[in-house]
Amino acid sequence: MLYVKNLYKSYQTGKNKYQVLNGVDFCVEKGEFVAVMGPSGSGKTTLLNCISCYIPFDKGEITIGGTNLAGLDDAGLAHFRNTQLGFVFQDFMLLDGLTIRENILVPRIVQGEVSGEAEELADRLTALFGIQHIAAKYPAEISGGEKQRAAVARSLINNPLIILADEPTGNLDSKSSRAVIESFGEVKKRMDATIFMVTHDSFAASFCDRVILLKDGSIYRQLERQGERGQFQDQLLIAIKEMTE
Amino acid sequence: MSQTLTMKKMEQRLQRADRKHAHLYLFCNFTALMIISAYSGMMLSPTVQTTFPPGGDSRKQMNAIFILTLIGCVVFTIYAAGLFFRHKSRQLGILMALGASRKRLMPGLFREVLFLSGFSCTAGILAGFPFIWIIWSLFRLLLIDSSDMRLSFDPVCLLISFAFLLAVAAFSCILAWHYLRRTNIMEVIREEHINEPVKELGKWCAPAGCILLAAGVLLGYCTPIFYLYKVQALPPVWMNLLYAPAFAGLYMIMLHAVVHGFGRRKHAPYKNIIARSMMKFQGKQTVNNMIVVTLLIASACFGIFYVPILSIGTIMEYHAQPYDYFYHYRADQTLPDRAAIETLAEEYGLSLKDWGEFDYITLAFGAFSSIMEEDGKHWHDEYIPICIEKRVISEDTWNTLTGENIDVLPGTYLCITNQEETALSIISSAKHITNMVTRTQISTQYAGLLHYDLMTDMRGYCVLDNTDYALLSEGLTDDWKGRIVSFNVDGKDSYPFADALFHRMVSCFDENCFTAVYHDRIITIRAEEQGIADWQASDPMMRIDPAEADSLTFRQNWEYIPRFRILSMNDFLLSTSVFLMMFLFIFIVCILTVLIICYTRCQTIALNNRYIFDDLKKLGASPNFLDREVRSQCGSVFRVPAVVALIAVYLFFILLLYGNDGQLVYSEIVSLGACLGIEAALSMLIYGVYRVTVAGIRQKLGIFLQVTEIE
Repeated sequence: MLYVKNLYKSYQTGKNKYQVLNGVDFCVEKGEFVAVMGPSGSGKTTLLNCISCYIPFDKGEITIGGTNLAGLDDAGLAHFRNTQLGFVFQDFMLLDGLTIRENILVPRIVQGEVSGEAEELADRLTALFGIQHIAAKYPAEISGGEKQRAAVARSLINNPLIILADEPTGNLDSKSSRAVIESFGEVKKRMDATIFMVTHDSFAASFCDRVILLKDGSIYRQLERQGERGQFQDQLLIAIKEMTE
Repeated sequence: MSQTLTMKKMEQRLQRADRKHAHLYLFCNFTALMIISAYSGMMLSPTVQTTFPPGGDSRKQMNAIFILTLIGCVVFTIYAAGLFFRHKSRQLGILMALGASRKRLMPGLFREVLFLSGFSCTAGILAGFPFIWIIWSLFRLLLIDSSDMRLSFDPVCLLISFAFLLAVAAFSCILAWHYLRRTNIMEVIREEHINEPVKELGKWCAPAGCILLAAGVLLGYCTPIFYLYKVQALPPVWMNLLYAPAFAGLYMIMLHAVVHGFGRRKHAPYKNIIARSMMKFQGKQTVNNMIVVTLLIASACFGIFYVPILSIGTIMEYHAQPYDYFYHYRADQTLPDRAAIETLAEEYGLSLKDWGEFDYITLAFGAFSSIMEEDGKHWHDEYIPICIEKRVISEDTWNTLTGENIDVLPGTYLCITNQEETALSIISSAKHITNMVTRTQISTQYAGLLHYDLMTDMRGYCVLDNTDYALLSEGLTDDWKGRIVSFNVDGKDSYPFADALFHRMVSCFDENCFTAVYHDRIITIRAEEQGIADWQASDPMMRIDPAEADSLTFRQNWEYIPRFRILSMNDFLLSTSVFLMMFLFIFIVCILTVLIICYTRCQTIALNNRYIFDDLKKLGASPNFLDREVRSQCGSVFRVPAVVALIAVYLFFILLLYGNDGQLVYSEIVSLGACLGIEAALSMLIYGVYRVTVAGIRQKLGIFLQVTEIE
């Protein structure tokens, strides 16, 4: 589904050049729930931004569902982002002037068509994530957890190839975090969705099938979940400790 | 609900929801256009155009301040648009992140900015005219109402307003395009987190700025004077560029003040450190802003100072007049005699006293004249024995008129000036005096000054020895002779009497006498004798229209304008009303522009850095601490330009008044005192708006002080 090959990305600040991604290689299969973890400055958000087509990269190749992103122009990227990718941001990125239901429909509105089928899907998604009672409310009137579940619902409205999530639990309390992560699990189970998530949170990552540990712009190690979630979280914590020592 | 929700409708809903964020943008566009349409309407109105002499300093000043006001309006509309798009950027970023292409977002964004800018600007243009009307009417109602104050507009002023409207709309579209064009969506989404980078500013900035400021002022002021006297040529226009280092210096001083601050850092190195750290990133933009604000405050003061400078000296002079009524006329004119005037006075219940009538003659004096060379730039001074026209009285007349007892030596002359010795008519280089009818000429020598305010005007009077006077009077025709009349009213004077006498007198002069006081018959005679054209004949400024007897032009320039104390005092404000009105208007417009710029700039700084305030709150900063940082930031924006402009313009006026005649006379000192009072009032107004701005920012940043904590 997602192939990242030999990816390089650097930033120029004045005369100084900072290499952020240093030949990153990995793939995510369809229906897989993968997290990327790593210390600050390891390049995980940059990696997500490159995959999201938000920033250009220096070298390498990213293909999603067989499409090479480097070969797309601005309009092509926008279309691809709209139809093939679903996004969940740390600070929700809901539009304050629209209701939750309308926010969920925004990717369809951007396409130019809001069909009856899309509306039904929106209603099903609100029901799936337990937010149908707030569908007519505005973002300012609901909790952080509810906002993020609305954002997850929005990411699914176009049946994307992959959902890209940037620290989705970063602004939430533990109860809301659990609800959001469980909603990802639900999406994966019911819709066979592919999810790629960047997180600091070992608890959130422990719900994933696989965790990629990133250090200094390169993959340090990949861990696959084989047993219970709690056991996997312990494994993650040990691996993170080893990585930072 | 959402069945009909299309991209266009969604954008409309978002725009409606965002309308509160567009308030500042709408307000600034509205105010800018209101100011510009009002200013251009006022400036181009036939009333002002006919009152302000073409090519005169006052008109140049009015035009220059208009350009500056225009720049000020551009500055605050840019900031307001910037703030609006910074907020809009998040919404655009979200939509782009969700796959909306720039092409798809463009029409909606353009529709929105064109609607907002078009609506606010059109409303501003429309409001400009009631704005003028209100100020104009209040001025007439509360201060002065005169026949000169006819409110009229030239439609050309609308062209300026519409040009600015188009510029605002075009700029908004360019800014919208600029925000959409960014390739990095993360940058668009996180626009509000981005600060402008600036290199670390060296400590040398302030001293270097002071040196440049002083150098610019000295070079700009002194070089043209030096050039004028040494090269004897008009200074070329490029010499104004010598003032440029002063502006560079001012910029550097302000930059230092904003970024590093002045004084007391050693004792309190951490005081206002947050505000200063923010300014390190936004210093240059803030200072650019401050320069415009400084120039606008200086322009406002420059305009309003005109009022005390013009009026105080004149009113003091009227009070000091030794006679209530003083006038002169040519001997070939038939004016009301003493009996006729007493009869008229009786009609108003007045009786006259201290009646005096004195003869004078008009003679040609020799003088040095600056002869312009063919290149039109250089000149040389040449003594011309028959050069200019002067009124002359005998020493006996002087002694009778003043009660003094002077003895003028034969072959000498004395010039009459006012008590403050500011008369421009003094001529000290004459070696010859000539009777223009018989061409009798005597040699003479300047012997000094006498003081008499009522005999000081552009033509000027001289006093001769009785024998010389008798010799030169011989053979003069009546058009070279004249009479001076003076009297007082016994008891309280009457304005209607003075007005009636004035108009009766004006009606008695024949058309040859309606010339300006600076019209010189000697120049005409010399031109005739040399067979060249008299430039005065074709100059419209030399003729005075008796139909405009109540106008400022007539009162200021007519050769035979009578000095009636009560008339002068009452009509002074009336005859200068359009000038006063225009400069008061300029003051209001400039200060309004200043206050809006400072307000929007403070909002920009505070709101762009609100994440810093949020972080500081999380770090446990007290509301008192945060409030202090807000006040420190806003204080710089308001205080630095105000202090610089108020001091600079005050010093400039001292220099200007001193430079006129090399001294500061009593009336000028009183005027400067009044100017200081205006500056104090203006400072209080600026401080008041600063307080309102700080209170608004405090509220927006959620800094809630206890009552005891508020300053």
